[in-house]
Amino acid sequence: MANIAAQRIKREFKEVIKSEEVAKCAIKLELIDDNYTELKGEIAGPPDTPYEGGNFVLEIKVPETYPFNPPKVKFLTKIWHPNISSVTGAICLDILKDQWAAAMTLRTVLLSLQALMAAAEPDDPQDAVVAKQYKENPEMFTLTARHWTNVYAGGPSKNPDFDSKIQRLTDMGVMSHDARVALSTYNWELERATEAIFT
Amino acid sequence: MADDNIEPDQASFDKGYSEDANQVNQDDLILQQSKNIEKEISDSIMLVGDKEDIMVLEQQYIGDEVYKGKVKDLARKYSNLRRTRPDGNCFFRSFGFALLESLYHLEFNSFRLIAEKSKDKLLELGFQKFTLEDFHDQFMEVVNLISKPETNEDTLVEVFNNKDYSDYVVVYLRLIASGQLQQDADFYQNFIEGNRTVFEFCRQEVEPMFKESDHIHIIALSTALDVGVRVRYMDRGDSTEAIAHDFPEDKPPQIHLLYRPGHYDILYPL
Repeated sequence: MANIAAQRIKREFKEVIKSEEVAKCAIKLELIDDNYTELKGEIAGPPDTPYEGGNFVLEIKVPETYPFNPPKVKFLTKIWHPNISSVTGAICLDILKDQWAAAMTLRTVLLSLQALMAAAEPDDPQDAVVAKQYKENPEMFTLTARHWTNVYAGGPSKNPDFDSKIQRLTDMGVMSHDARVALSTYNWELERATEAIFT
Repeated sequence: MADDNIEPDQASFDKGYSEDANQVNQDDLILQQSKNIEKEISDSIMLVGDKEDIMVLEQQYIGDEVYKGKVKDLARKYSNLRRTRPDGNCFFRSFGFALLESLYHLEFNSFRLIAEKSKDKLLELGFQKFTLEDFHDQFMEVVNLISKPETNEDTLVEVFNNKDYSDYVVVYLRLIASGQLQQDADFYQNFIEGNRTVFEFCRQEVEPMFKESDHIHIIALSTALDVGVRVRYMDRGDSTEAIAHDFPEDKPPQIHLLYRPGHYDILYPL
């Protein structure tokens, strides 16, 4: 990795460590390797969103051409959000693509992602299924996102109704994640989800 | 029920996910392709090339009377041309190079003062101190090369072909242009197309690398640094000469650029 990118990340790492967001436990950054090419980010789910109380882990890869090209970032924690793939964790966010500017930092990225979690942009979706639900059935979206936060990100709100529906499917030998995906997709209608899985 | 709109059949269930997966693959493919193209361009054209005779342009337009006439006209006013890499940064890179070169002959210290102070203005506008300083320091290092007796044209070409310096200069000039636009946002707002604020425009079209420049970038940068630029436009227009535009309007030109649709190079007057 070019020295210039490593130097820059080294300084950014210190900047994040000292930031007030870290003090408030809103964001966190950890090194994965000694070359400063790979980092682990963490974002606390923003208050008053279905992600509240959850902790979301990100994979951050720093290209050799950093800071002139953006870091590669994706969610490792599974999340139900219109701009984040529920399958791969890939993120649709302008500053991670063509609107990256070299004057931005990893702190900018983490804070922008936190803002994205609080204000989705369903017209520019990464996950078509989630975006459709977000627009057409916002209450169902909120419940589903909160459930995913509970299961995958350690969020506090259990949903006994959802849990029992998943149980019904796992009793039939379906993996619990597959059951959750099918039920989430079909607005937690057990019959339709079952049909989708078994036909 | 709104959920009636989600098709209950297996095809749609699969589609939702394969579409998502495809999207990722498509993105990757496009990214990979544009990277390849980028590399091809990189390999073939220097970030800032050597000085060439102005008449090399004529060879590019054999059989094209409109352009040939304009090349002839250019040759009456300019002796040389210096090409830059067409990577979307060409205006900023050309401007940076031509500006530093012009400082050999002009008042270096007054420019250095403007360059020094530019940082404070950007800080006042709320740019992030930590990254701004990085770019400013590197920019000043390149600017200060001019005052060293051992610096010559070759040094500058070498520095501008070293990405670590060259791209830092480009980024800092982009920040200066952005700062100027934001400082005079009320004025520049009139020239921004679409439903965008000046701040949004800066974020989308000025600060990111590889974004091409328009009049508004040129006006902002030349005004901020108090440097006159004359741009010669070589296009399909009827005129027999390559029409000149000066930025800012009333300022005598300190540097000269050649514009051909989508690209800027540096010109040297006779």
